[in-house]
Amino acid sequence: MIGGRSIRDLDWPLLLIVLAISSVGVLQIYSATLGTPWSDAWWKQIVWIGAGLLLLWIVTVIDYHTLLGNAYVYYGLSLVGLAAVLIAGVKVFGSRRWIPVGGGFKFQVSEFVKLVIILLVARYLADLRRDELEWRDVAKLGALVGLPVALVMKQPDLGTALTYLPILGVGILLAGLRLKYLLVLALAAGLVLPSGWFLLRDYQRARLTTFLDPARDPKGSGYQVIQSKIAVGSGGIWGRGVTKGYQTQLQFLPVPHTDFIFSSFAEEHGFVGVVVVLGLYFLLLMQIVQNAQTAPDRAGMYICMGVCALLLFHVLVNVGMVVGRMPVTGIPLPLMSAGGSHILSVFLMLGLVNNVRLRRFVN
Amino acid sequence: MDARAESQAVSRLRFLARVFFFWGAVLLARLIDLQIIEHEELARMALDQQQNDSRILGPRGAILDRNGQYLARSLPVESVCLDPRKVHNLGMAADLLARVLSLDSDTLLRRLVAAAEGGRGFLWVKRRISPEEAQALRAYKLDWVEFRTETKRYYPKGSLGAPLIGSVDYEEKGNGGVELGWDKELRGKAGVARTTADVRGGVIDRRVFSEPEPGKDLTLTIDERVQFAADRALRNAVRENHCRTGSLVVMDPRTGDILAMSSVVAGAPVFDPNKPPERGEPAQMARLNLAVSAPFEPGSVFKVITVSAALETTNLTPETIIPCGNGRITLFRRVIHDHDPYSLLSVADVLAKSSNIGAIQIGLRVGNERLYDYIKRFGFGRKTGVLPGESPGIVRPTSRWIPSSIGSIAMGHEVTVTTLQLAQACSAIANGGVLVRPRVVLKRQRPGFPREAQAPLEAPGRAVRPETAIQMRQMMERVVLAGTGKKALLEGYTSGGKTGSAQIYDFAARVYTHKYNASFMGFAPVNNPAVVVVVTLNGASKYGGAVAAPVFHEVAAAALRFLDVPKDLPDRELPETDEKPASDLAIAEISAGAPREEEEAPATLNAPAAAAALLEARGSAPTEAGPLLIPATYNGPKVPNFQGKTKRLVIEESAALGLLVEFRGDGIARVQEPPPGMVLRPGERVRIQFAR
Repeated sequence: MIGGRSIRDLDWPLLLIVLAISSVGVLQIYSATLGTPWSDAWWKQIVWIGAGLLLLWIVTVIDYHTLLGNAYVYYGLSLVGLAAVLIAGVKVFGSRRWIPVGGGFKFQVSEFVKLVIILLVARYLADLRRDELEWRDVAKLGALVGLPVALVMKQPDLGTALTYLPILGVGILLAGLRLKYLLVLALAAGLVLPSGWFLLRDYQRARLTTFLDPARDPKGSGYQVIQSKIAVGSGGIWGRGVTKGYQTQLQFLPVPHTDFIFSSFAEEHGFVGVVVVLGLYFLLLMQIVQNAQTAPDRAGMYICMGVCALLLFHVLVNVGMVVGRMPVTGIPLPLMSAGGSHILSVFLMLGLVNNVRLRRFVN
Repeated sequence: MDARAESQAVSRLRFLARVFFFWGAVLLARLIDLQIIEHEELARMALDQQQNDSRILGPRGAILDRNGQYLARSLPVESVCLDPRKVHNLGMAADLLARVLSLDSDTLLRRLVAAAEGGRGFLWVKRRISPEEAQALRAYKLDWVEFRTETKRYYPKGSLGAPLIGSVDYEEKGNGGVELGWDKELRGKAGVARTTADVRGGVIDRRVFSEPEPGKDLTLTIDERVQFAADRALRNAVRENHCRTGSLVVMDPRTGDILAMSSVVAGAPVFDPNKPPERGEPAQMARLNLAVSAPFEPGSVFKVITVSAALETTNLTPETIIPCGNGRITLFRRVIHDHDPYSLLSVADVLAKSSNIGAIQIGLRVGNERLYDYIKRFGFGRKTGVLPGESPGIVRPTSRWIPSSIGSIAMGHEVTVTTLQLAQACSAIANGGVLVRPRVVLKRQRPGFPREAQAPLEAPGRAVRPETAIQMRQMMERVVLAGTGKKALLEGYTSGGKTGSAQIYDFAARVYTHKYNASFMGFAPVNNPAVVVVVTLNGASKYGGAVAAPVFHEVAAAALRFLDVPKDLPDRELPETDEKPASDLAIAEISAGAPREEEEAPATLNAPAAAAALLEARGSAPTEAGPLLIPATYNGPKVPNFQGKTKRLVIEESAALGLLVEFRGDGIARVQEPPPGMVLRPGERVRIQFAR
């Protein structure tokens, strides 16, 4: 019993889907890291998933209204945390994303900020009690979300920074944005994005240009995309079999256990495996949407839809990158890519969803 | 939350859902595109970068001399390679490997570090190490060191015949001589191995699809002993006479087999194919096979061609007297001087004394077209096709001759020839007029397979009639006995030849210099020549008779000895010939200027002992011409009537006469060939059929 509610009220289908996707992920991490220095990543992943389940439970137990009440506190802590990363973070591959927490573990603050953004947007929009958003509201919320986005981009980590935006987008869309505003925003975005080009760093620009034309520099920045496409394509319908995908095993594929895990999965399990996994993601998202529909209040709905938007964005961008339809941004595939912070943050989000579901019957 | 806002939120949600569905559909379409439609193309691209088909070379065939001595063979040796990524301490590895394999440790460390930093998974440490080095390295039992078996080409005889045999490059591909010309046969068929390598080149898997086939062993016509003698004699001659280059060919005139082929460049390092190629022009020059690649103006040796043409196409005979204008002739307003003033010389003497004006007079009698025809008949102006890098020489068609060309060409100018071409032409004289194509390879055989049928000798063309060849041989013997080639006299063998000394044309100064192409082409023994030797010394300051003939003497004597050619002259030391040696006598008579000396010369063969030796010598040789060709003056024993006699009686009688007899059957002699009363050509034998 949790606060008077039955354990069978938990969203068991959702948990089953999550465990199924996670298991596929562990198997693929095992296969992709065989004979490489990261060959212990698969059991580390299991440990992280276990820890994630524990966190999920904890987050489920605490009433999300309590969490929403503290949303601005968490937001303030997040900004401090992100600033700390910029000052004291560990530099890996040219960007500061991690804070060392001892014992060889590193803590990626930006992953957890996602949760805070979800709570923040839900809290802010739920507090408005208006059916349509005013300019002022959009600007305020935009500024609140824009600050951590800017801080993360400064690391620099464009991919993670971008994942905050769908939460905001879905939020304001649901909160009631006038069509006129929407058009103005779209126009503004159309004007700002090209000028944003000049704010990007060289390697980020290179990623964008090679996304448009990977053959331009096949040994350099286009290399990952080409190798990934070759891997996906050589999988065919049935795949080459576990540990038999040569693109993966011969290390032609870059980081086949993290950002490009979907590519390595596609090579070894083929189109059939890909459809099954994407189907699982579809079911997962549908389950979350259902929870949003049955949420007891608007705040609960915003939380679920924020999580849904974020995960959907992750899946679409990651798969799009793997098949060469999106630029390489370094966004992990939820639940499958190896990585502690990422797994924990996803399980925390799912904990929020469960939390909302558990309280769907308003007393 | 009122109903209107609720429905608005739902419709917006639906809009959002459609956007995402569209996005999802795009990705799914892309996945279908990649994994189903473009699958084969992408899978092929994957294999292209993951797998690499490489050729495995089969062991290269050996090269042997005609007696089965190895001239070149490939033996397995080991090479050392490693994966730099698997080496934990590069410095220690470099020190250890450098010490064991006698390499420079700093250089090796630099290479190791460069390979490791470049992420390369493969590095040759040292290729083709010695067995001792391999053993020493194995003793360390290093798991990061890998041995690969390769082959190394050994030339056991070193520089012996090196320009002819050639050498191989680092990939065991022939880059000169026989190694280049028969590279395809020697190399065999390469096998194919498929290697699967990771992105850094580390080999994951290696599968052999087809095993390599070993190359064929080549048995050359070269006789290693003759080659040795030829190399040594030529090298000494070039050095002692301060020549620039020298080349030499020893050939079996009956088959075209090249028994030895030498090439020497003064001042160049000796070409040893075991050593890696040296840089610099002299070293490159030393690799050249000048006997086939360096054409020159032959000079007087070419008079043999002129005289042969004259015997066949004009009414000139060896005895015909040629006016030699007392050493001065005006030819198409060009005044030509002879080296010595002769007034009248027989055709034979023109050759013996190498009179230029005599040769010009004979050439004029032959005429442009017919002389050109005979030059071509003797094989000049085209490649013999025996070896790569061959020069055809220059023989201009008559349409491009100037009026005085006939005079120049008659005495061997305005044409260029190679030493090998001279050997080919001389062989035609020596073997009775047949132009045999020179050959270097006797047979080819794949190890472990039945011997391949020897390539049949090509249907040879005829250069001159047999009787012309015999007349030429006799005249050329006189050159040795009484003319310019006395230094070519052999002990125990008759010999014939022709000297030549062509002034070398200085193309820069456009004058003929006082350096000569001193040459000698000759054969021995005269009546059934077993060897033809042609020597050319470029840049000599003396005449061919003085510098080239002694080389002939040395090489021909060695070749005849090694080939076990029976002597056709009595050894002067032998007691039964302690009368005055016949050959000396003949020389004396000829020197006295007897008009019919060319008939006297073979008279030396009248001595019974000499005849016996001669017959013994020719015992195994096939007869090459019918009795019609025997000069009427030949004075051998007449064949008695053996018919009706017992075998024992036949043996006694023929032994007394010095006749060689071939017996068939048993009992009483029934049929004999040739019939009684005939005179045998030297070397011919009597065949007798016995029956009871």
